[in-house]
Order: sequence, then structure tokens, then C-alpha cells
Amino acid sequence: MNIVVLVKSAVDEAELRADPAGHPLLMGAATKMSNFDMNGVEEAVRQKEENGGTVIVVTLGGADAKKAIKEAMAMGGTRGVHILADPRGAPDSLGTAYLLAKAIKRLGEVDLVVCSEGASDTYQGQVGAMVAEYLEMPFLAYAKKVETNGGKVTCEQGFEGGVRVLQAKLPAVVSVVSEANQPRYPTLLQVMVAGKKAIEDLPLSSLKSEDYPETGMEVLDVTVQATNRKRVLLDGSPEDASKKLVDALKQEGVL
Amino acid sequence: MKLYGSDQERVLISLYGAGPADIYGAILRSLSAVLEEKVSPLSLALDQGREEIGKPRRILFDQGLSKLPHAPEFGGMGLPFGVYALAMELAGAADASTAMSLGIHNTVAEAIARFGSADQKKRLLPALLSGKKLAAFALTEPSSGSDARSMRTKAVKEGRYYLVDGSKMFITNAGEADVYLVFAETASGHGAFLVEGSNPGLKVGRELTEKLGMRGSRTAEVRLVKCRVAEDSLLGEEGKGFEHAKELLDSSRIVMGMICVGIARAAYGKALAFAKGRELFGKKLSDLQLTREKVANAATEISAARLLCMHASRLKELQRPFSSEAAQGKVLATEMAARTCDAAVQLMGGYGYTSDDVHRHWRDARLLMIGEGASEVLRMLIASRELERES
Amino acid sequence: MEVLSFSEDAGLAGEVAAAGRDIAMLLDAEAVAVELDEVSAGLHSARKVVLVKGDRALEADPDSAAAAIVEVAKARDVRALLVGETKFGTVVAAKVAGRLKVGSLGKGKRLRVDAGRLVLERDAYGGKYLAQVAAKLPCVAVVQAGAYKAVNAPIAPVETLSVNVGEPKVATVEVRQSQRGEADIKSAPKIVSAGRGFARKEDLALARDLADALGAALGCSRPLSSDLGWMGEEAHIGLTGAYVHPQLYVAVGISGQLQHVAGIKDSKIIVAINKDGQAPIFQFADYGIVGDLYEVVPALTKLLRHG
Repeated sequence: MNIVVLVKSAVDEAELRADPAGHPLLMGAATKMSNFDMNGVEEAVRQKEENGGTVIVVTLGGADAKKAIKEAMAMGGTRGVHILADPRGAPDSLGTAYLLAKAIKRLGEVDLVVCSEGASDTYQGQVGAMVAEYLEMPFLAYAKKVETNGGKVTCEQGFEGGVRVLQAKLPAVVSVVSEANQPRYPTLLQVMVAGKKAIEDLPLSSLKSEDYPETGMEVLDVTVQATNRKRVLLDGSPEDASKKLVDALKQEGVL
Repeated sequence: MKLYGSDQERVLISLYGAGPADIYGAILRSLSAVLEEKVSPLSLALDQGREEIGKPRRILFDQGLSKLPHAPEFGGMGLPFGVYALAMELAGAADASTAMSLGIHNTVAEAIARFGSADQKKRLLPALLSGKKLAAFALTEPSSGSDARSMRTKAVKEGRYYLVDGSKMFITNAGEADVYLVFAETASGHGAFLVEGSNPGLKVGRELTEKLGMRGSRTAEVRLVKCRVAEDSLLGEEGKGFEHAKELLDSSRIVMGMICVGIARAAYGKALAFAKGRELFGKKLSDLQLTREKVANAATEISAARLLCMHASRLKELQRPFSSEAAQGKVLATEMAARTCDAAVQLMGGYGYTSDDVHRHWRDARLLMIGEGASEVLRMLIASRELERES
Repeated sequence: MEVLSFSEDAGLAGEVAAAGRDIAMLLDAEAVAVELDEVSAGLHSARKVVLVKGDRALEADPDSAAAAIVEVAKARDVRALLVGETKFGTVVAAKVAGRLKVGSLGKGKRLRVDAGRLVLERDAYGGKYLAQVAAKLPCVAVVQAGAYKAVNAPIAPVETLSVNVGEPKVATVEVRQSQRGEADIKSAPKIVSAGRGFARKEDLALARDLADALGAALGCSRPLSSDLGWMGEEAHIGLTGAYVHPQLYVAVGISGQLQHVAGIKDSKIIVAINKDGQAPIFQFADYGIVGDLYEVVPALTKLLRHG
């Protein structure tokens, strides 16, 4: 089975700092493999282990993105493709999907494309469906269980009302949720071996054509969300604290 | 707490250059994730006796921690000793007992890699590197710790065997180990013997349960009673056992020092988080000058200890003499860890004093000023070298 | 010029249509609600409804729904499409944007118009930051539940459109509805929410008792619905789940990770009960009790019941 897994090198929000005005310092911010993408990689590697074949890790990102690709390879990816992002700014979801789809098309016959429910830093969940549109493949979203058999893929999708069981013919694009699996920890040896493997660099110019979608998307501002809560701590025994709480809530008019 | 970060990354870059540092960094980052997510959560329970000893150690064996500095032909990863040393800092920060237990096991593996016969290496190294077998290092005795040379355990040659008699004390991994490296006096000096845990002549005494810290590892007395070992159990040269021990201890002192750097970071990290959240006199505890002095001291000493130990490590890699530097690193690291952990308890006040989760770091660190070379002995070693130099 | 609104969920459809009205006004356009297969009963909010019918159910899967909406968009001068946030809606929005090759602003709570562009306010970087993202028209945006209030408008004139969309690429083999034990948290005025502080699934009874005493719905943080499976998907509150806006939100045994807090920001009053005084939740709460939930929650429940 020829499997592609899409991985985002996301801003590490735990390390992200803000300037005094509350704007995030994104230039040179630490990155990591988007958390949910670990589940995507795990799913892709499992499918490879069950069906044989390869897992090609595809990422769009800056120089730092190689770290994420290598992590994915340590988990069982066969090789990596790094689309070198324009340092002036990341494309929007449609532009990203365009570039990822172009890169995937260069890989020849692909049976399954795996991505995750959303990126840990932006969490919009649009790219997966858009990649499927560009590749003209079925899109099975929010899968918590993935099974491939006889040229078909069957997924269980958790939704607000319960579970949907979806099925489509391969090749297809599947997005997984974190409930789908427990990502493996590669051994240190696997990390070392993956670290030495070469990754294919793809410059944007080799993928971008006149049909690149110009959506005019622009981030106008990003600012820290203010939290102005009262932060009143009510102490005492459980009974005392409860009494104080009930009184306060009555005062607030919510009880 | 994030264990692998820019401090460690920059040490790797300055020692090895950006390229290799990338790969080594990826390895340590991966180890860090396992330590943070699977080992650290067990640490307090281990100290409080609520967790199975050996469970976190198994996790780290499976990751391949013991393989780092060893030759690939025996299952190792062939990485510089410094990468292993930094790994032990991270392990020490996650769980000191497990790190120490592994460190001692790894010292025996190093002993076999350096002094072992081809047969001994083939027989034992792969199992030790994968953790299939656990090792213990038996040098200290009830009546000789610092004065190791005066040990009373004797190994008498009888035909194709040795008969070992004596007593070893404060042995880490005792009772769990599959193989013990036992040092004994021989006709020609001292010898190091690989004794199987299943040998009927090796008896493990009562486990020492009143330890101040390092409660996540097993420590006990080990008695050799007419313990019969084949002559090919001798590791290295007969007569040279004590010299071998000294060389091994030089290495292990770097590791113990790095473990202490980790312990200090763990305590310091908790104290810092507390100080940022604690309010008094209309300010945050972290705003007060006396707090900042403590923070600065801790940061400076942690850096210094790490760098001194890593310097000793680099000298070892380059096959230069490093005994004094290793001793210096251990003295500095172990004493600074006790200071830093004590300062952490002080900063956290009543919460520090009444919380196992805080004072256990001090309790763990406290051992290492004593074990693997008491600070007094190390100072003698350092002073000797200084006095040997031309003034 | 038109602003289309759509949701397969009847309740959400009303809210999104209200958003559509707002934006349409700012663009000097007409608000049109797109309904598939049949016009849902209830609040419409839109000035006009386009009912799309095909030879089979168009709302059965996102492929068909997207294809139908694309047909509507192609036949009219559409400036924006607003879709209600559900898993289904999120996929539909992306598909429509992908087929029409227009920008998708993603999901957010507030929309406005700036220099002829649609601007969406959305959470960023784990929920700690707020981003203002703009796209040129036409574009697509996903509107979160509770962001807009459905308006009771007179039933709008319905225009019917027949379309022929291809076979969906994905077949829905089965739909297993979960037993709706919990009240709909998205609209609940009071919510009690459980987190990892609870040691066992059975202990959630304590949270349930408290919820009953308060007349509140029961929700949870992600680990309880996903890793542990103690509660259903629909109870999960947070960045990757439901955004709620109750009058009262009581977080029990929840540490307060940003991803969870992102979903509760619009609560009027937030109460936190956690035994760890250092837990981040206390920074986001109006009232906090540092204590063992196994002691505090029963005491609180008892007080509420017996006064």
C-alpha cells in the first residue's frame, strides 16, 4: 500500500511568548509536530504494517519542519518530502491544500492519504477536505477507527449525535482524531536511523503554477485573549466554602 | 517540565557542531518525551513505595538508553559518551532512583566492553544493553567504602575456579541483578569477577529500607560464601582489578554528576513555578530580590556543574586523562544539587517541608555526596593532582 | 448579491441565518438560507430560503450537501457562505471552498466586514490568542454554535431549486445515534463539567448529583469523552469540541488546560473546584475552591438541596 501522511510543523504553543502588547512572537518560534498529526502518523504506520508498502511523510513548512518529518520517520515513515515554505508567510488552508496535493501527485500511485482532525496551533480542520478535492478523492473525516480491505476503506466517525460508519473506494483521504490510536514512542535507535535519512526538498516554485488560488486571506491581528475573571478563592471546610459559594452565586444572580 | 531544551541543545552544538547536534538532539528530545510522559508520572509513587521498582527502568531499557555509548556490534548505538551523559541528566530529572540504578548497571556494561574477553562481551553485552539482564557493581564493603583498596573479600584460585568469600554492602540493584561485578583481593592484587545472581554462593541480605532517599531502587548487603566461579569469570587482568575499578569510577562519576544536575533541575523547576504563583506583600514571590538571588544561584550552579561534567566527558571521548575533572564535576554537581534542593524546600516554605514531592529531591541528591566516591575522597584525588603539578 | 447560510442542524441553521442577516446588511446584500431536501421547522432568521432538492437525500453526506450548495452558488451572485459548526458542517465548508476555489476563514464566533472583506475572529495557538482573519469575497466561514442568536422572522419566501449531483464518493453505511442522556450543553444555561480529577467512571455520579441539584447539564473535558470514554462526544467542551456560554459553569476536577478553557470563555460566571491550588483553572475562574472534589461536591450538593 502506498500511503502518504500529512504532517504540520506547528508552533509550539507551550513555548510561544508574547511581546508587551500581547502579540505572539512568531518569528523563530519553537515548532513541534502538531499533536494530532502524531495520531495520523501512527495510523499511517499501522496501515503499512498491516498491508505492507510505504509511508511517505509530506510537510509544508520552514527549515524547522525537518524536525517534525524526522519524528514521523522515526515512528515508521519510509521517507520524507519537505515543501519549503515561503518565509514571508504561510499560505492559507486552500493554498496549503493546493501545494500538498501537487506534491502528492508527483509521488505516483497513492492508495491512502492520512491527515488529522486539525493542527494543534490553528485547529480549523479545512486542509484535509480541500486536499481531497484537489486530488478528486473521497474524504472520510474525523475517523476514530480506520480499516482497509479489498480496495475499500471503512471508518467510524464520532459526531455530535453518535457514530457514523463511512465507506469509500481507495484511493481516499482520511482524517483521524486523537481517539483513533495511541502514538508509539520510537526507540532511540529508530530516532537515530531516521535522523540520518535524507529528506527530499521541494521548492515552492516547482509546485506553484498559474492556477494557485489567490484567496486574499490575511491575518489582520493576533492578540493574547484577556482573562478578567474575579479569581476569588473561597476557603474553609467543604461546608464553609460551599456556603460562601452559594451566597456569592446568589449575589451574582446565577442561582 | 520540559526536560530537553535549549540549554542541552546548545551544549550539544558547542561540543559537536550543528550537524551532529541535530541528530543527537532529536534522540534526546525523543527520550525526553518518554521521560516526561511515562517515567516522571511514576516518580513520586516510586518514592512513596506505591509503584513497582524496575517499572520505569524497563521503559528506559526498551527505549535503548543503555545502548547509547556502546559499539553497534553488540547492539549499541555508537554515540559519543557525552550524549549518554546528557541523557542521564534528563533521566535524573525524571526519576533519580531509576537513573542511578541504570547508571550503575551501565557502568558494569562499560566494564565488560573495556576489559572483557571476546567471549564475555558476546555472552553478556547484548543482554545488558537491551536490559534483558540487570547488573550490579559490588565494590563497597561493610568496613571499607572510601578506603576501597583495603577490602577484605578474597578470591582464592583453586584449579579452574576461584572461591570468593566476603561481604559487600550498599549494593544497588541487589536481589534483582542477574550478574554482579564483584571486586576481591587476589594473590596478585585485586580482581573483578562476574558472578551470576543465581550462583548459590552469592547471598543477598536484607534490603535496606530506611534509606533517606533513592527509594525507587533496591539496596542491600551481598554476601559471598564459598562462592565458586569459573576462571573465565575474571574480568580483565588478575591483579589489576583495583585499577579497573578506578577507571570505571571515573566514568561513573560523570554520570552521577549529571544525574545530580537533573535532580537539581527538577527541584528548581518546582520552586520556580511555585514562586511565580505565590503572592505575598502585594507582589509575587518571584519578584522579590532574595528569591531572584536564589534563582540566579541555582541557574549558575546548574550550568557550571553540567559543563564541568560534560568537559570531563569530552576529555574521556578524546581519550585524554579526565579523573580529576570527573571528580571535580561530581563534587560540584552533588553538593550543588543538595544546596539547590534545599533552597527549593526553603522557597516553597511549609509546602516544601510537608511534601514528599518536593523534599524527595534533596533526599535523593543527598546520597551522591557519599556514594560512587565520597566528596572527601574526591577532594583528596583532586588535591593530589594539583600538588603533582609543577608550581 | 447574496450571503448564503447553511446548517444541517435545524437549531444551528437559525443561528447561522441570523449571522447571514448581519453580514448581508453590512454588504448591502440579501440573506438567503439554504435548506436541503426539506425546509426545517422553527426559526428561520433569513430573508429568503432556497430549498434544494435532488433525486436522493442531499443532506445525507457532506459530498452531496457541498455539491448542492455549489450549484446554488454558481447560479447566483454569492458573496459569502456561512456554515454552522458541526463536524459535517466543517467538512462541507471546506469542500465548497475547495470546489469554488475561494478562501475558507475557518471557524469562529464573530464576523464583520472590513474594506469589502469578511473578517472572522477565531481562537489561535491553543486558544490563548485571538486572531482576526480576513479574506476577499467571495469566501466561506464556519460559525460556532451560540455565537449568534436565531431571530424569529416571519417565514421567508421559499424558492425551490432542483439539482443533479453525482453519486457521493463516501457512503454512509450506518448511523448509530447515541442515547441523548445529557441535555444539550450548547444551549444549557448552567453546566457542571467533569475532568480527570474523577478517579472512576462511577464517581461521575457525584457530578451528576450536583448538576441535578443546580438544574444544570453535565459536560466534560476531552480526556473523559475521548481517552476514557466515560461520556459521549457531545459532552466534550473545549477548543476541539463544544463552545458553551452558560450563565454558570462549574468545572470540577478540571486542571484548566487552554484547550478546555477556550470553550468556556463566554460563560458569565465560572467556578472551579480542584485539589491542586496551582491548577491553571483558577486563573480563569471567578470563584474557586481548592479542595478534594470528593468532599466539596457532596457538601455543595447537600447545601443546594436542603438549603
